Amino acid sequence: MGLREDLERYREVGEERREDLAEFIQYGDLGGSGPESVRVPVKIIDLPGFEYDKRDQGGVGQGDGDTPQPGQPVGQPEPGDEEGEAGEEGGEHEYYEMDPEEFAQELDERLGLDLEPKGKRVVEETEGDYTDVSRTGPNSTLDFERMFKEGLKRKLAMDFDREYVREALRVDGMGPDSVFEWARGKHLPVSRAWLDDEYTKLAASERTRWSSIETMERNVDEEDTATRIRKEGVDHVPFRREDERYRYPEIVEEHEKNVVVVNIRDVSGSMREQKRELVERTFTPLDWYLTGKYDRAEFVYIAHDAEAWRVEREEFFGIRSGGGTKISSAYELAAAILDEEYPWNDWNRYVFAAGDSENSSNDTEEHVIPQMEAIPANLHAYVETQPSGNAINATHAEEVERHFHGSDNVAVAYVNGPGDVVDAIETILNTEDDNE
Amino acid sequence: MNDRITAQRTADSLEEPVSEAANLAHKLGLDPYRVNYWIVDYDEMNELIAYDGFQTRYPHWRWGMKYDRQQKQNQFLGGKAFEIVNNDDPAHAFLQESNSLADQKAVITHVEAHADFFAHNQWFGLFTGGGTPDAAAMLARHADAIAAFMRDPDIEREAVESWIDTIQCLETNIDRHRAFESASAEEVPGIEDDDIADRLDELDLGADVVSEVFDDDWLEAQREEEPSGAIPPEPEPDLLAFLFRHGMAYDEESEKAVEMEEWQRTVLELLRREAYYFAAQRMTKVMNEGWAAYWESMMMGEENFAGTDEFLSYADHQARVLASPGLNPYKLGKELWEYIENSVNRREVCERLLRVEGITWRNFHDVVDFETVAAALAPDPVIDRIADDGLAAFDPDDPRIDSKALAAAKDGEIDVDRYPWKLLTYEGMAERHYSLAKPQNSGFLQRTSREELERISRYLFDDSRYGDVDEALADVEYTAGWDRLFEIRESHNDVTFLDEFLSQEFVDDNDYFTYEYTQATGDYRATSTDYEDVKKKLLLQFTNFGKPTITVQDGNYNNRNELLLAHHYNGVMLDVEQARQTLERVFDLWGRPVNLKTIVKELDEHDLEVAKRREREPDPDERGKLIRYDGESFTVEDLPWSEVEGIAATDVDYDTKPDEWLA
Repeated sequence: MGLREDLERYREVGEERREDLAEFIQYGDLGGSGPESVRVPVKIIDLPGFEYDKRDQGGVGQGDGDTPQPGQPVGQPEPGDEEGEAGEEGGEHEYYEMDPEEFAQELDERLGLDLEPKGKRVVEETEGDYTDVSRTGPNSTLDFERMFKEGLKRKLAMDFDREYVREALRVDGMGPDSVFEWARGKHLPVSRAWLDDEYTKLAASERTRWSSIETMERNVDEEDTATRIRKEGVDHVPFRREDERYRYPEIVEEHEKNVVVVNIRDVSGSMREQKRELVERTFTPLDWYLTGKYDRAEFVYIAHDAEAWRVEREEFFGIRSGGGTKISSAYELAAAILDEEYPWNDWNRYVFAAGDSENSSNDTEEHVIPQMEAIPANLHAYVETQPSGNAINATHAEEVERHFHGSDNVAVAYVNGPGDVVDAIETILNTEDDNE
Repeated sequence: MNDRITAQRTADSLEEPVSEAANLAHKLGLDPYRVNYWIVDYDEMNELIAYDGFQTRYPHWRWGMKYDRQQKQNQFLGGKAFEIVNNDDPAHAFLQESNSLADQKAVITHVEAHADFFAHNQWFGLFTGGGTPDAAAMLARHADAIAAFMRDPDIEREAVESWIDTIQCLETNIDRHRAFESASAEEVPGIEDDDIADRLDELDLGADVVSEVFDDDWLEAQREEEPSGAIPPEPEPDLLAFLFRHGMAYDEESEKAVEMEEWQRTVLELLRREAYYFAAQRMTKVMNEGWAAYWESMMMGEENFAGTDEFLSYADHQARVLASPGLNPYKLGKELWEYIENSVNRREVCERLLRVEGITWRNFHDVVDFETVAAALAPDPVIDRIADDGLAAFDPDDPRIDSKALAAAKDGEIDVDRYPWKLLTYEGMAERHYSLAKPQNSGFLQRTSREELERISRYLFDDSRYGDVDEALADVEYTAGWDRLFEIRESHNDVTFLDEFLSQEFVDDNDYFTYEYTQATGDYRATSTDYEDVKKKLLLQFTNFGKPTITVQDGNYNNRNELLLAHHYNGVMLDVEQARQTLERVFDLWGRPVNLKTIVKELDEHDLEVAKRREREPDPDERGKLIRYDGESFTVEDLPWSEVEGIAATDVDYDTKPDEWLA
């Protein structure tokens, strides 16, 4: 018993209590998170109880001299003063903060994904290791080690046991000519000139030490080069210009793993609150995931009804308009923006669109599908959010799916409720995952 | 004291403040339990707070969690002066070593008031039954028992822990109004309705008797009546007691309900007892904290217990405690106690004044010269400014003067400059600190409404009339306010306290308002400053520990031994997600499927759209639901309104949104 034990147990229990990632994506409060940091709630008052619905309960506040008038917003209710008295309850939960990298990693684990982002744009050329060589260059880059080795090899090839050959000259009846032939036969790299020299140096009495070459060979051992070098050392290594090599660094192209994600959302009149929320729930984790996977992620937000316009993220999920729907307007704008700002050679591209599948007649077949085909991208996806089942004229998703069936870079996912979000994300990301 | 904390009895420098604080408390009319003070260091203080003020509690991760949180909070807030006192006789209070002397004194005065509250509030008596709580010993015994289960090789530690978790989820689901009784002590009616035919067999009656009296028709009739949910006979709010008596554990392996193990029953019983012990504190949070803050401020501020040099540091401390954000129970309580004191005193004064010839409730504000009245009500300078060199002016026969103390002071045994209050009686103290004479309350009397004056005069007897204002004011009972405070602290709890004393004047003076979540804007908005609304919301927050009322309706639901709970819907719906999670826990204590009847509010998406467009609040549909958990999965079934009519309160409406906001 005691504090230490209870604290330890708390830490263990606490670890287990982080909200499951899938649960968080589908039902959690995504609003507390920013693009740089994903906040997964960790419940600390974690034991449930029969409680009032907090929003339905309302409450009492106290003004400081100026009481807010009915209708004035009052901010989030704050928990009362906590003095740790019995029966007190504190803040509802803490957050487990993870950066998008961790988020992506966890989602990979959760969904069994293994998306390897491609490095696309050359961002810089750097000098790599000095692994390339040339025959000229500054002295400081001369590969002396190599030159020494080559010289040594040459020396070894030219070397022979001089004493041994001299003994051959001492054989009765052998002169430089016959010794030269003998040496050749034994692959001793001796020159004729050297033999002549040595022969003249010998006194006449010495020239008849051995009666025959066979006798000499029997009595004198030839010492091989390696043994001799070990005994005498290398006194001279012949350096040659042709052995000179100058090292220079390899040029490495750094490819940045960069990505542009185009989020397209139908904001027309039929896109009610619930549909809108489902889009946000699906797109936001995808954005986090790709941010976490790539070195650099940029986002383009396009809202459309019958026309399309580019918006900032802050506005993107909140926009409502009254107009009809023409999905091709968004792809037209997307194509223009991608062409202009994010060339396919330099960028990984993801084009995600979402809506309730309603589109003006023939737009899907005549315009959207050709447009999708024309926009090169790692992945195209369409997310249909249709909380109340299918409407008859809502066929965009089906048409796209039928046309691109089996394609490795077009995904279609259906989200009818928060419970489908994780499946949809899995479907989308798996499509690319499989296309390697 | 156990040796886990090397608590040290009151340090020398605090001995005098401790004994004098108790003396001062008695002078002011308080009657606290004796308090033992202990000095602890910062870590020990955090530990005590985590363990609800006690040193030995059963092993559980939740204490670790509270400790962790406490530490983080303190790091963030900076060294706040701590006080923790537990409800026991004698009470034990802990002082943090590092606090300044002024803070220690503040804590001590605060603690004395708590100890008075513990001793006299009747809700605390519900647990003790008039005896002493003997809480530290009880909790230590529980700790030993539970720790022994955890050590027992035949019992999995994790199983004990998770059993505790389960019970803690229901720790407020007790009958807070009932005096504590051991759940096992009560008669246990068998829930399994033994087949009556079997029982008759056991009676060994003659065959003719059986066929004559207990014929098949009779048996049939019994069968129809019997399983109709006679258990519990009335909806039972004490879920823990009910589950103790009739609950079963669930055995994963055999997939069947089995009798609870002995250790499970013991843990359930012990934790229920603790829940009852802490219930009184939970029910009187506003009153109790307000009471302590009120008397602390009286002793420290008004009676200068801190000493002049320490006062600034004290005032700073007090400001920090009371300035915490949100709805602060300390502040609400203190303001309400002060308001009650002022109101009672004002009523007393008005009653006197309305008996003066020529003063009526109609002309009150025109005729009464409030400055004169204020001057007349100001405390007698003799007792207001007591000094050592003025002792000669005191009359030992004056009821406001403590004659024994006066004699002692004259003998030089009392440091009158330091402890002037020693010379006074309760009456004297009441006059010395008369609320209406304080500058912050100067306009209070004048603000008496016509309605109130009319109400007072309606109940006045005409028999004793005063000739003039001075004569009337001379009769004012200075103790009226305090006397009333003492009565209230005995009989009330937070709910009755707020219900009875919260008034429009109070709400206006202290800037209280209600707020609601509005669907149209998606945020919280202020909704009302009407005191009825503020009161409603406060009552919602403090009734039943601020939790929805859940009762057991039937222990043999559907005739299948299923448990049926009901949420008594008062217009505020349950947190359904949490309710489901809690049902999973209840299943562990019942062993068989569990059901919860509730009413939820559903918003049609279309209505919400329309409402948003019009900037109005949509009107949700209330629908009956039956949530059932069978140990594996949930089902939710719509119930016709007739099925839930009985659990819907029609006479309350906690919604404070103005009507004109509604769509």
